[in-house]
Parts: sequence; structure tokens; C-alpha cells
Amino acid sequence: MFSLRLCLIFVVLTGTAVVSRAGENPRPWSFEPLIQTETLPAVKDTSWPRSRIDHFILASMEENGFSPSAPAAPRMMLRRLHFTLTGLPPAPEDLAAFDPARVDKTIDTLLATPQYGERQARHWLDLARYTDVTASWLKSTAGSWRYRDWVVAAFNDDIPYPDFVKRQLATDLMSSTGPEDHVALGFLGLSPMYWKELQLPPEIIKTTVADEWEERIDTVGRTFLGLTLACARCHDHKTDPVSTADYYALAGVFASVKITDRPTMSEDLWKPVKKARELVAGLETQKKNLSKKKPRPADYDGQIKELDKKIATIKNATPHYNMAMANGVIEAALYVEKKDKGHGTNLNYQTGMSRDLPIQKRGNPNQTGDIVPRRFLSEFPGSNGSPRSFTKGSGRLELAEALIEDSEALFARVMVNRIWKIHFGTGLVRTPGDFGNTGEAPTHRQLLDDLAARFIANGWSIKWLHREILQSATWQQTSINPQSEQKDPENLYYSRMPRRRLDIEAWRDAMLYVSGELDLRTGGAGQDLDDSKNVRRTLYGKIHRRDLNKMLQVHDFPDPAAHHPSREETISPLQMLFALNSPLVHARASALATRFPSADRITTIYQTLFQRNPTATERELGETYSTETDPANYAALLLVSNEFLYID
Amino acid sequence: MNIPSPLSRRAALTTMGGGLGSLGMISALGADQALRPHFAPRAKRVIHLFMNGGPFGPDFFDPKPALTRYAGQRPKGSDLRTERPTGGLLEVPWKFQNHGKSGLPVSELLPLTAQHADDLCLLRSCYTDNPNHGPALLLMNNGTMTPRVPSMGAWTSYGLGSENTDLPGYVVLCPGKPVRFSILWNSAFLPSQHAGLYVNHSKTDPDDLIPWLKRKETNPQAQRKGLDLLQQLNQQHRQSRSIHDPRLEGRIEALETAYRMQFSAHDAFDIGREPEKVREIYGRSHFGNGCLLARRLAERGVRFTQVYYGNGQPWDTHSKHDEKTRKLAQDIDRPVAALLEDLKQRGMLEDTLVIWGGEFGRTPVSENGNGRDHNPHGFLMWMAGGGVRGGYAHGSSDEFGFKAQEKAMHVHDLHATILHLLGIDHERLTYRHAGRDYRLTDVHGNVAKEILA
Repeated sequence: MFSLRLCLIFVVLTGTAVVSRAGENPRPWSFEPLIQTETLPAVKDTSWPRSRIDHFILASMEENGFSPSAPAAPRMMLRRLHFTLTGLPPAPEDLAAFDPARVDKTIDTLLATPQYGERQARHWLDLARYTDVTASWLKSTAGSWRYRDWVVAAFNDDIPYPDFVKRQLATDLMSSTGPEDHVALGFLGLSPMYWKELQLPPEIIKTTVADEWEERIDTVGRTFLGLTLACARCHDHKTDPVSTADYYALAGVFASVKITDRPTMSEDLWKPVKKARELVAGLETQKKNLSKKKPRPADYDGQIKELDKKIATIKNATPHYNMAMANGVIEAALYVEKKDKGHGTNLNYQTGMSRDLPIQKRGNPNQTGDIVPRRFLSEFPGSNGSPRSFTKGSGRLELAEALIEDSEALFARVMVNRIWKIHFGTGLVRTPGDFGNTGEAPTHRQLLDDLAARFIANGWSIKWLHREILQSATWQQTSINPQSEQKDPENLYYSRMPRRRLDIEAWRDAMLYVSGELDLRTGGAGQDLDDSKNVRRTLYGKIHRRDLNKMLQVHDFPDPAAHHPSREETISPLQMLFALNSPLVHARASALATRFPSADRITTIYQTLFQRNPTATERELGETYSTETDPANYAALLLVSNEFLYID
Repeated sequence: MNIPSPLSRRAALTTMGGGLGSLGMISALGADQALRPHFAPRAKRVIHLFMNGGPFGPDFFDPKPALTRYAGQRPKGSDLRTERPTGGLLEVPWKFQNHGKSGLPVSELLPLTAQHADDLCLLRSCYTDNPNHGPALLLMNNGTMTPRVPSMGAWTSYGLGSENTDLPGYVVLCPGKPVRFSILWNSAFLPSQHAGLYVNHSKTDPDDLIPWLKRKETNPQAQRKGLDLLQQLNQQHRQSRSIHDPRLEGRIEALETAYRMQFSAHDAFDIGREPEKVREIYGRSHFGNGCLLARRLAERGVRFTQVYYGNGQPWDTHSKHDEKTRKLAQDIDRPVAALLEDLKQRGMLEDTLVIWGGEFGRTPVSENGNGRDHNPHGFLMWMAGGGVRGGYAHGSSDEFGFKAQEKAMHVHDLHATILHLLGIDHERLTYRHAGRDYRLTDVHGNVAKEILA
């Protein structure tokens, strides 16, 4: 028996193996072309809308008996802007300089900060199941962080979204980018790898390999198309028009790539480095063997010294010896074969080759059917009327092009929905990883399509999309509206701004920021988050797929072994123990208390943390408690208070 | 809020696709409180004693005289493919005796456990899918071999909630790290509070066991005063903004829970509070401490506790199998017997399900002359208490103890049965994720009705 038999449920139910029922499933709304809105929906309150977004939102509000909330107070607006774009709070001087009539200026300023890319990258890394530590059995030069930094830079540079995607899937096959861009391949290169015990027979190993393909298809399908393509591994998709043949046509692409480190410089520069590294590895082995020798040779020290000298010479004589390596992929077709001699399995990677896969009946790699040539999904034909064939190498680049061109409407909708969700907490489609028939219908389809069409028209600029959303009257409403809260708890009509809790990254960063300790240096290798000296942004904390940092884990950080379209927000006692007792909170509190030693500390702290002055009662309570215990204890309370953690 | 069945409430909310909002609301409204099961449970909690590495059943509870008869040979049926090359059949040198009223045979390796023969329900025909530790550990814990789905403990915590809001619902004890580590107790797509709380109990001071349980610099009075001030500010904040925001209220409540947890969890995890006599009965080994901790946690309402025998995979006896097994058996015998006796004396055995076993078994044929290889084809586990039939041997393995024969019980069946004992229909405890309704047993699982008391 083999894993992921869940897929089989439908087969079991229908009692047949691979039935072509994909054709019978209706095309979901999201497969249709974008609806172009010529005339904006009419609204009664014509003074409220500020952008096209607002027309759609208000029309639906009015139709359903809602009216918009008042605009947010400037201090709340500024706080919201800063957190949503950069993941950091505003400083008191930012508030002094803030002109609520020129929100556009503030947005532009924030979009131009390096912190903007850092914040947006983290959202993407949830989708990409980013990890700093790959499986222990893989030979890797631990350059994963270069992919993370690439994503940060891509957002900061506002790379058009199709380019952003294409480079992550196939930059090595593009003529417009060079080897320095190989780090973009981390999206595939950092994929989870499952252990393959090669003493086992190939029948078993084939299943593990097929499980890996499924993981890639699941991640690619849900990230770029919001489709649960992996459901079609064992049977045609139960509800969406995706067939098993579609699945294996895509799986062939992943059967034709190998995860491996790649140099970030040209072949000419790399070749001598590769050779030198092999030589050094050989010398290192000699050293190791020597150290194991018993009894120790008489001239042991001398021999070691000699070897060290040789190593140093090679390194010095080789330009770019320490060339950065990228966690990437190369073109190589994988065949799982019985070992020639003996007992186990051989993973036969044929470099530079590609392969088409046979359909695996019921997801069983040992029961195969017809071979399916690699191609895109049948429901998304290309310009010639049939699904795009993948003929160049593995087909990664053609896959990326098909995603962008042949399923353009869906591809754009999914990304627009993600950016909307970043700013509102929920998407216009509330199942961001499922735009199929089992996903939720959009609450405002016309709006989603209008935004998607304009996203495309504006050069797929993500910064444009941020501006468009943040400048709307919809986004600038206050979150304080008990009536709307009661009438529409899920906020389906957007008649208020939802109140949002800071995620762990924003909370930790904000604590460090207000305490004056935050180290804003950008990029570089991940650092242990439990290290008390680590005062860098949480984005740069080391993510370990198998051993996730405890602070992250209890605060809803997604399991980096799989794609996560959204984080499940929970409230748990362990989170509160962290709030009450963690060294991290208390160290920030001490620094915060020391940062403002003045007599009017409480006012300054309130201004720094909450962008407002304390009331007389708050000041009195604070002073009494600070005196009774100490100012750091008092600061610790404010850092974990709801007012600090929730954005209005 | 007055909602009849929490399990269906959950299902409704998740399928309604409230997503973030709804789940957040659930946790704020008290997901940690006990939820109502599908039907009357036989067990309220589970203690899973995990012999990581994989023990060989015929060493303990499943005598196989054929191994002596054919020692060194490879008769038909003894040549099943496992992970590594193997040789002829390897004799089991231990003497067996029948014990208790039931007369279950137990070997000389476990003299104390043998005294509880009438409580044991031997599962002699378990089998799994993969002869390699990682996949087999995943299958045993998570129900599939790929590391992307929730663990059995997380499902249980999700399905039943906690009996004690001051403690986590799922705790994993190990004096070190089992292979594959935290993926074995993860919550995957379930809300993160259902992930197992991993505790390395090689230390015994509770403050070292639970993260952030205590801050040395804090004195309790000052802390309470501070918390009162914080809650006053939180209340003001809430009142100035909202009539009813379950998340703001939820965080206020959770802070109080955490405050209490500092004391209750400290108490629960402190085996130093046990009388000397009890400590002696369990023995002071890591495994003894683990069993005692498990009992303290079970007593306080933790739903699911796993005690991994040790770091890495100590039961993985590829060489010198007999020598190592003798030591391992000696190390577990006293704690296991003590746990069963203790639970019984406290009246807890009847609703606490104790499970013993590894991720797979070992081969009757030899590896390296005196070792045994991994065996997924047939292995032995046992259960006790929690509504299972004591003094009963369920199913059988072939004459060598290689392959499950009668009433073969796949890991999925084991899971279905465990959930059944907890009052959960394994087909109805589902969670919508990535377009599918996931469940612990995938599309499989039959409840082994014969083992129910």
C-alpha cells in the first residue's frame, strides 16, 4: 500500500480506477476570462468613493443595507500603513509629519524603504515553504538565505509579477538573466525532500519519488493558480476539470529536474572552482583519514601541515574559490532503477535529459498506464487551441510561460487576492489556495476582475496594486464600528476595517523597534532566534523545517514543510506564557525603560508604542506601578498589551 | 453561545470557510475546553509508550518455537524482503511462561510486566507499509508517510479538546530526539495549539521542561499586580473599541489561563512531588521518569501523552540483538509495570488507554549474524486499560513471527481503533484543507471490534 491514498477515496466510491470524469466537472468561475467593467456600479452616496474599488464595495454595501464607517483617525491610519507595508510601527516623528490628506505620499515613502520588501517577502515565503535548513542527508552549501534575499529584492525592485514567477521556476533557462540569478530557483531548490533508503527495492522508492512530485505540483498549483492540482494524482480531480493525465503531464516536468546547488557565476569561472573544490575535498579526506590512523604516524603534525599548505595554495590560486552557491535545480531526468548488483535501488539521474511520465494508476507508480507527454493543463489551451506542449528541456520555462499567458486571468486573480488579503486580512476569495469549485466564491467578483485587469494593464506592478488598495476609502475606514461588527461579524461587506493582530514577525520586530534596539541591516544568513543578541528582523531568523523555533511555532508560524496560503490565527496559553515570561519580551522592556529615562517616560512610551498620549488615569496607573516595581516591568506589560498587538 | 455538538460546530465553521476568522473565534471561545465526542468514549486519554527503533514481539509476548527448530535455516516463508540483506532464522533464547488467569505467555525478560498479563491486550498481527524508520514513524504517528499531515495526538486534541484548560492537550516526552523529530507530533494544517508540546525530560526541573513557564526574576505577587494592571488596560482598550470582539476577549482570558498554568503546569511536570516510595517503584531511569510524568499528566487531564523510550532509535538492534534487548527490557519492565499498577490503584486504568510498541517490528531472520533487521510485515503491539479486552491475544503472526497472519491489523486499523476507544468515529473527524477533507486514517481503517472489552 502507498501513501496519500486519500486521493483514492473517490476511486473507491465510484468503484473504477482512472475514469475520465474531469470533463464532466464544471469549469469554475475562476477559469473564465476577466470581466471587463465599462461602467462602474451606481452608488447613492457619490461623495464616498475615492477609487474604482470603492464603487464596487459601496454598491454592494448599499444593496445589502450597509453603509461605510468613518475614516480612521490619522494616528491609526499611519500605524496601519506602516505595519501593512513594512511590518514596523511608525515613529513619533512620522506622526508629526503625516498629512492625512496626502496618504499617497506616505505610501510612496514606505514603498521605497528596504523594509517594505522584507515584509512582503515573508508573505511569499509562507507560500514557498522557505527553510534555512534543508534535510540533513542533502549535500548543500547552505545558501538558502540567498533565495530569501532575492525575494526581498524582487519586491523592493517591483519586478513585474510574471517575471518574478518565471525567474523562480526557470531563470537558468531564460536569456535575460545570468547565473547570478540562480538563487531565484530556491522556490524549487528548497522543496522538501523525503528520505529514500536506497537499500529498499525500487518499488518502494518510486512511491517516495512520486510523493515528491506531488509536493511540487501541490505547491506550484496552489501558489500560482490557487488550484489543488495534487488531487488529480490518483484519480481525476473530484470537483475541478483537472484530469489525471493533466497531473502526469505536469509531473513529467518535475521528473526532469534534480535539486542541486548551482554556481552563481558563468561556466568559465565555475569550471576551475569546481575542480579546485574537488581537489580540496580530496585533501580534506586525506586529513581525516590521517587523523583516524592508529597509531598516529610519527610525522603526523608535519603531514597535516603539508596538506593544509596544499589546500591554502589551491584556494589562493583559484579566483572566486568561495563563489556563492544557490539552492537550485538542474535539468536531469530521474529513473528509479533496481541496483545492478545486490539488493537496493539506484537513482539514475540523466543530466540534461527530460522524460515524460506514464499515468500511475491509482497513484501507484508500480501500475502504470499510458505515457503522457509534458504539457500544460487541458482546460487552458494556448494560442493554437490545444494545451501548450513542453518541449524544451524539462519544460520549466514553458510551464512558467503557460501559467502567465494561458491561464492569465486566474494567475492574475490569485495574486491580486493575495495582496488584498495582506491588507484586509481576508481575500476577496476567502480560500486563497482554492479557486476551484470547492473553494469559496469571491465576495466581490467584479471588483476582483477589475483589479486583476488593471494589475495587468499597469505592467503587473505589485507596488501599483498596493497603492490602489491603500488609497481606497474602503481601506481607510476605521475599524471601530460596533454596529457593523455586530451586523457583519465576518466583514463580508467591508463596511469597516477589520481589527488585526500582529503576526509574530511584526510583533517581535515592533518590540525591538520601540525599544530602540532593532538592527536594520538587510540580508545574510539566518540567525538563531533564541540567541539573546539577535536583534535583527525576524525575517532573518533561522527557519528549520524539522525543528521549528518554539517562539515561531506557538505563534502560528506555518509548518515550512508545505505551502501555506494563510496562517491560522490562534490564541493559546503558551503564547501568553511567552508574553509574561520570555526573556525576549523582558529584555525589550528593559531597553525600552532605559531608552526613555526622562521624568515624563510614560508619555514618551505611549507616543512611541501607541502614537497617542496617555490619559490621566493611564499615566497615574503607570506611575504607581513603575514606582512599586520598576519601569521595566511596566514596559513589559505595554509590550504585550492588546493595544500594542492589535492594529485598528 | 449555545452550540450542540462541538465536533460538528468545528466542521461547520471550517467548511463555511470562515477560515482565519472562524478558527480564531473558536480558539477565543474556548477550543481548549472539552468537546463532546461522537459516541460514549471508553477511554478519555492515551499514554503511548513508544519503543522507537522497533522491538521484536517474539522476544516478549509471542513465542515462536519454530525459530529454534529452524535456527540458521531459511525455510519457505522466512525469506521476505526487508530493508537489508538477512541470513537464516535467529533463535529467541528467552524462556516463556503463562501468566495470570488468562495464561498469556510472557518471556522471562519482563517479569514485572508479566504480573499484569490479565490487563494486556496483545495485538500480534500489526503491519505497516515501509521498512524504513522515517516513513514508518510517520505512518505510525501521522497516518501517512509524507510529512505534511497532523499527528494522531493533534487530531485527538483537535477532536476532543482538553480536559484541563491549564495544560496543553498533547505532550511528547523524550529524553532526546526521536528520528524525524517534531514532524511526528506536528499539527500541520490544524490550529497550532494542537501540536504536541515536546518536552525533553532528561532534566527534571519543570522550569527547564516547559518554555517560558517561569521567569526567575518575577515574584508572584508583583506579577499578579502587573497582570491586573495589564488586564485593566486590555479591558479599557476593548471597551473603547468594540461590543464583542472574541479575539480581544480571548487574549484576555488566555492571559489568565497562562497565569494559572505557571503553577498548575509546574505542579504537573514536577515528579519531585511524588513520594519517595513511588519514585522507587517507577525506578529513576529516564523511562521511569517519563512513565511517572505521563501518569501525572494523565491524572490532570492531558489527552495524549507519548513517552519515547530514548534519543535516536535505541530499539534498532541491527547487531547484538539479544544482548541489547535484554538491557532494554530490563529498563522498561519496572516502569511499565509501575505505570499499569499505579493507574489501576488510582482507578484510572479503566479510562486511560495505554499503548506499547514501535514503528515496526524486527525480522526473525538474522542480520550481521546476531542482529535483526526492520520488519514491516508483521509486528506486535499491546494495549491496556481504556476499554480494551485484557488478557487477550488478538490475531496472529506466521510461525516465524515474520508476517501478520490472522486478523491482520494495519496501522490505519490501529488508528481507527484508538479513535473509536476515545469516542471518535475516525471517518467523521475531518478537516478541510487544500481541497480535500483530511482525516487521520486517510481512506482506510477498520475498528478492531474484538479487542473492545
